[in-house]
Amino acid sequence: MGVAYAVMDANNSEVAVVDRATESVAQKKARFERDALQYTNQLYAAAMRYTKNPHDAQDLVQDVYAKAFVAFHQFEPGTNLKAWLYRILTTTFINTYRKDQRRPQISDGELEDWQIFDAASHTSDQGRSAEDVALDGIVDVDVRAALAAMPEDFRMVVYLADVEGFSYKEIAEIVGVPAGTVMSRLHRGRKLLRASLAAYAKDRGFNRAGSDE
Amino acid sequence: MNNRVQSPCDQILQTLVLFIDHELPSEKEYQVYLNHFQECPECYQEMMHESTAIAFLKELLQMNCNEQAPQELHDRILQQTEVLAGQSQVEFFSTSTTITNFSFDGTTSIQITQEFTQEIRHDFTEGQ
Repeated sequence: MGVAYAVMDANNSEVAVVDRATESVAQKKARFERDALQYTNQLYAAAMRYTKNPHDAQDLVQDVYAKAFVAFHQFEPGTNLKAWLYRILTTTFINTYRKDQRRPQISDGELEDWQIFDAASHTSDQGRSAEDVALDGIVDVDVRAALAAMPEDFRMVVYLADVEGFSYKEIAEIVGVPAGTVMSRLHRGRKLLRASLAAYAKDRGFNRAGSDE
Repeated sequence: MNNRVQSPCDQILQTLVLFIDHELPSEKEYQVYLNHFQECPECYQEMMHESTAIAFLKELLQMNCNEQAPQELHDRILQQTEVLAGQSQVEFFSTSTTITNFSFDGTTSIQITQEFTQEIRHDFTEGQ
């Protein structure tokens, strides 16, 4: 299959032609280093959310790049490389790093009714107050702790959507669940996170008020 | 749950997150929401409130989840790529000549990696 692919960069300017059937290992390596390695920092930050510690996060990312290199000639140039790498990151994490951990499994069945979690009526102003405590006192450790405390399935989806900007469909492919499940996890995950950040902010507010003297 | 019939507001609010996340399937769908917001200030207000909250959450997360990988990790990956590139000469050889190369050392790992790559490719081409 000597099909050549025209590949554009993000600005649609630079065009390279890749024929994966005749590409030498040296060419593959150069293409990998040019295209794939630029995501190391992003994958590391994501791996920090997944594993919650720098040591495992480094091992995980290194593992991802090993698998990605071996599989790289199978990757369709011009399709979403970042999503492809995140898919490897997520499956590797789930299959390797999570295997021994006992954790409460979230049943997807109960999440499919995502609509009912959101009261289908206009929220009264009083009803909002708990969520809407001013968050200006929030600091980075609070955000990371609040994320880390979330159930893993929610944490992944919120991270992929709200930090990485992936679409529901991309997240569905990365995590390996239906798009409807992505939507429900994202919806609930954001709610959990907002509530927990509000609690941190409130706490800091009290502490500030108490220690001002 | 009660048995009341869903009002237009119920329908809009239940799927509000799709509107906010730009995940509605068509332009026509957006128009349904926009038309409703013109008629219903409460739903409009709710949408503005939710959009603002989600935008703020995103900003907060993005500001605080941007650790840089340590230099050591960058080095390890570059080194690993060198090693794998050396090994993958064998892999390419085995792909083109299939069975003849099954007596090579390291055959087991080659088979595993090929299964793995097929799995990944399969998942991605299906979704495109």
